[in-house]
Amino acid sequence: MKKKVLAVALAAAMTVGTVPAAVFAEEAEKPYEGVTLSMWIGTSVYHDGTKAILEKATEELGMEFEVEINPEGTEGDNIIKTRCASGDLSDLSVYNSGSLLTALNPKEHFLDITDEEFTKKFDDAYISTVSQDGRVYGTPVTTTSAGAVVYWKPDYEELGLEVPKTWDEFLANCQALKDAGKYPVYLSAGDTWTTQVLFLGDNYNVLAQNPTFAEDFTAGTAKFATDEAALASWEKYADLVDMYQPDYTAATYEDGLEAMATGQATHWIILTSVIPLMISAHPEAKENIGVFAIPGDDPEDVGLTVWEPNSWYVNKDSENTEAALAFLDFWCQQESQDLYVNNYGANGPSCIKGYTLPDSVAPAIREDMQVYFDEGKTAPALEFLTPIKGATCEQITTSAAFGQVDAETAAQMYDDDCKKSAVQQGLGWE
Amino acid sequence: MKAKRNHNKLYSFWFIVPSLVIFCVFFLFPILSSLYYSMTVWDFNTATFCGLDNYKMFFSENSLSSSIVHTLIYAFLTSALKVVIAFFIAVFLCSGIRAKGFIRSAVFFPNLVSTMAVGLTFSALMHPTKGLFNIVLQAIGFSPVNFLGDMNLALYSVIATDVWKGLSVSVVIYIAGVQSIDRTYYEAASIDGANGWQKLKNITLPLIAPSQNSIIILSLIGGLRSFDLIWAMTGGGPGFATDVMASVIYKEYAYGFYGLSTAGNVIMLVLISCIAFPLQHFLMKREEAIQ
Repeated sequence: MKKKVLAVALAAAMTVGTVPAAVFAEEAEKPYEGVTLSMWIGTSVYHDGTKAILEKATEELGMEFEVEINPEGTEGDNIIKTRCASGDLSDLSVYNSGSLLTALNPKEHFLDITDEEFTKKFDDAYISTVSQDGRVYGTPVTTTSAGAVVYWKPDYEELGLEVPKTWDEFLANCQALKDAGKYPVYLSAGDTWTTQVLFLGDNYNVLAQNPTFAEDFTAGTAKFATDEAALASWEKYADLVDMYQPDYTAATYEDGLEAMATGQATHWIILTSVIPLMISAHPEAKENIGVFAIPGDDPEDVGLTVWEPNSWYVNKDSENTEAALAFLDFWCQQESQDLYVNNYGANGPSCIKGYTLPDSVAPAIREDMQVYFDEGKTAPALEFLTPIKGATCEQITTSAAFGQVDAETAAQMYDDDCKKSAVQQGLGWE
Repeated sequence: MKAKRNHNKLYSFWFIVPSLVIFCVFFLFPILSSLYYSMTVWDFNTATFCGLDNYKMFFSENSLSSSIVHTLIYAFLTSALKVVIAFFIAVFLCSGIRAKGFIRSAVFFPNLVSTMAVGLTFSALMHPTKGLFNIVLQAIGFSPVNFLGDMNLALYSVIATDVWKGLSVSVVIYIAGVQSIDRTYYEAASIDGANGWQKLKNITLPLIAPSQNSIIILSLIGGLRSFDLIWAMTGGGPGFATDVMASVIYKEYAYGFYGLSTAGNVIMLVLISCIAFPLQHFLMKREEAIQ
């Protein structure tokens, strides 16, 4: 009986509590009431975190959103290229930063946001990936991520292993795990793009040994097959051939997510954007997952290869640019970012200056990854430094991972592939 | 002379104009313009002429030229298997067996399922650890086979699936052919004391040549331009092991190499024409010779 009374009292209190709030909200200024912003967004970006901010924006600023979801990847590339060509862009588009953005020629299609107040919050590493001729066009959708080794901490504790500082130490750990009857490395070649991460995520080590590799590569003078540091990235595939789980040829990204979040394999070389997904599927995995950078040869210089996030771009010819800019400003505010991270999670540290990740974020991100950022031991992935990426990269890395081709052949194949890409982009490598 | 003029009046030139316009706009113009674009570096806005470089690249680059070999293996093997296996199934289904109607429907069933669905189903069945095929193989004491993950085997696994799915059309065409053969030939042969094999070899086989020719042409062209099954099962992988021309062209297009992928399309057009036209000519000759 007492409980019932309490319940009624509480219910009454809640109703009374909400009425004035509702009235207040009605009265509040909603400057963009009646405006509908169209939005073109990738399927992996349209998650609870994004939706929460959109709802809040409608609540506070008044604008409505018309969301169009796209499949991303090469299909997404085709759609946005066609839309740019036909002048049919949405008010807001979410698309890659870096070389894929450059390929669209952003100054033709997107609004210059260099002088906006919120743009000043972005860090320089991010800004360089969304700029053309010194003007800024993008606003970060999410946090940074890294191509790194995601590992299962309980296995390390069980065998008393240390986080490796060199590639040889990493291989020794793998051998120890294999001897203990575990699957040392997970490979998800069923989704071929995932096999690229070892190669792409090794860029820190390449640049550590040859700081001008990216420029020389773009100019066509440096090659993977002939540069010692770059060839080493390909040799890493050969070292791991015997370390995979039995179904490595068919396992998908989803399978990997499931296996790693339940400790069925110890390492997975993958983008850290998988971590929020792992935690949402298996919340108990949060404390058990760790991250370390793909190690190189120098134990004193271990660093992380970082991917800058996808970005929001405003259609230059939109009628609603004012509302779109107000929305982006809202997006970058501390409360919105908290809302995003608490609803979805984070792939890595934020590229909004001064924003620290809330405690809800997994230690793999908040501690393991943050260390590299704090020490300045990060380098962007090669795709942010050069417009050239081989079209069949993922097929070559799959061949290398399966041990079908050796490192030299794979590197040579990739060089040929990049040459094709350079010629087709009119860069005149001959 | 007079008759000829009447003839001209009767069939005015303008009669063919509508179809000629349609043909030019939708067939001739695209073919000619694709010939031009295949010789350019093209990004939809600007097309820079580069001569035959795209073609050179297609033949010299390993990942592209290997696709031509895979296409030929795929087309000839699927076509040959379909022609041979479907023949025996058709003959069997035309003999006096029970439940003929049901078995015929059952044979036709795979063709009713979408290729994508077949591809995804078979790639699940062929999964190296969880697939039904490997579970069965292991249960009867064999070691598991990595059907789609083994580079030397993947293409043949896809070919087997294609044959399973595409067999039915060939069977139907064969059945029509077998049934149109006059029964009296068989009766005459029986009276002369011919056995079943002799009848099959000397009556059925020559007289179904027309249907056989259709099957050869159809399945060969189908095999040369096949894409969907390969895409669903392997996506051209592992590595480049199952990349055929159509999948390579798709990838080049998706990557924005429009000129190069157009060149690939032109090569595919030429390849199909070079194989299909002489083959048809040869088969027609053979058909006439029999009759």
